[in-house]
Amino acid sequence: MTAAHRDAAVIDAAASTLADLSGLSRSLRHVAVVTDDGFEVVRRPETAPADGRLASMASSIQALTDAVAYELQLGTAKSVIIASETGHVIQMRVPGHQLVMVALFDENETLGMALSMLRVAAERLAAVLDAGPVRSVA
Amino acid sequence: MSDTTSLVVSDGADAELSPESLPTVIGWASAAVAIHSVRRIPTPVLLRLDVVGYGSVAIDFRHHAFHWETPLERFPERPGAVLVETHPTTPDAPAPFDLPGRDLDGLLWLIGQHAFPTRAATWLWGDDRYRLRRWPNLAELPISLDQVRMTAMLGNAAATPAELAAAVGAPLPVAQGLINAYSLMGILRSAPAEAAPVARATSTPGLFGRIRKRLGWA
Amino acid sequence: MSEHVVLFAGPMGAGKTTAIQSLSEVPVVLTEAANSDRVTADKPTTTVALDYGVLTLGGDEQVRLYGIPGQRRFNFMWSLLKRRATGMVLLVHNDAPRPFDAMLEYLDEFGDLYRKGGIVIGVTRTDVSSRPLLPDYSEVLHQVHPDKTIPVFAVDPRDARSVGLALMVLVANLEMRAAFVRDPEAVPV
Repeated sequence: MTAAHRDAAVIDAAASTLADLSGLSRSLRHVAVVTDDGFEVVRRPETAPADGRLASMASSIQALTDAVAYELQLGTAKSVIIASETGHVIQMRVPGHQLVMVALFDENETLGMALSMLRVAAERLAAVLDAGPVRSVA
Repeated sequence: MSDTTSLVVSDGADAELSPESLPTVIGWASAAVAIHSVRRIPTPVLLRLDVVGYGSVAIDFRHHAFHWETPLERFPERPGAVLVETHPTTPDAPAPFDLPGRDLDGLLWLIGQHAFPTRAATWLWGDDRYRLRRWPNLAELPISLDQVRMTAMLGNAAATPAELAAAVGAPLPVAQGLINAYSLMGILRSAPAEAAPVARATSTPGLFGRIRKRLGWA
Repeated sequence: MSEHVVLFAGPMGAGKTTAIQSLSEVPVVLTEAANSDRVTADKPTTTVALDYGVLTLGGDEQVRLYGIPGQRRFNFMWSLLKRRATGMVLLVHNDAPRPFDAMLEYLDEFGDLYRKGGIVIGVTRTDVSSRPLLPDYSEVLHQVHPDKTIPVFAVDPRDARSVGLALMVLVANLEMRAAFVRDPEAVPV
């Protein structure tokens, strides 16, 4: 089975979802879909540096978050929020897939709206992948 | 097969061709001397040790390996006799046994420990300080934790057997046995010019002992 | 609380997670994800943050065992953790494509630990591949780092005693280096 970050169908679906998401908010500075083990599937804007660090860091944070949720018997960690002075980084699981959507919003977007947009985008991506010919599993 | 590769490993059977040197009926001490001497020869040499009652040991230094039907857990500390044969070979000649064989560190450790049980090996100068050139493969050695500490000291300072023993609080014969074995294994270098080691206090004294206790090791 | 942090590092597939699981007194906290890169290591999962295990020595003193991800794309985790580390067990598997390169790369990356004697090298999977020989690792190390004698020996990450021995050697080496080496860069243990 093709790894998600090399699977054309997954890349296309993710790119389309991120394009739609980018159109919804001017405060969205950067967004990417990454695999659970830290490979980047697609990012926007495409001109953002492609050093892979965001993908790796998102993967680590997601795994640590999952570990905390497991230890505390909270179930699955659906999202992670990093709040800072100049914006929020939000990570959202793509339901049913070993993929994470990670987005950086500046301080002009409310946290609630940012979470909502990202949740909808992640669910849409999951639906497209579920309906498509190839399931995005490693 | 080259004429020089004449050593055939068997369970006590004779070698196919005559050895280059006459066999010598001796205990581990002279076997150790033979090993030590052979390792200093630039051309490769195979060794065969016939340990009476325990079969033949074939040693191929080129592959850092040996073959012996007797497991090292049954190593005879005081064999009745050990016959030593040397067989010159060439760098590319086949090994006299199926490779990989067994790691030579384990065998040389035991021979070195038991060849000179109460004194320095005959090729060592009593007051010399030594340093480690490389660590042995500890997985192959029935090594005590005191000996681990002595090895660590030799990796970081030059020491005589007496200084090693004092540093870890172990008996001198244990330290001497370690030096004898490591010398036979070729992993020591002499450091006669270095000053005596002087220990400084560390900020967490006894961590080794506390972990040792936690793991339940003697 | 007195903590001593020991990192388990090395290339993917060397046995870091297994080693910590063998030694830890508690179930290890794992941060594994499905492995997309089956070419580098044919295993279903890989560590992407850190594995966490512990040995309690008594009172408030603990040895914390952290397994760090092997892939270079996670080297920000290396940076985070090496600042806190007392020492490191570097595991290299003998059947890796270029085990010497992996070994030297990690020694460069963790130079501070190496300089205070805080690295031991455990060669795993010697039952799978008998070459290179262990003295070959020492020879390569000596050529690149002639001033240090770094412990190198076979380790079976599945065996608690084998991993425990690696930990004991690490601590012994740290203590002896701190005690006997007049090196301004050496940090007391």
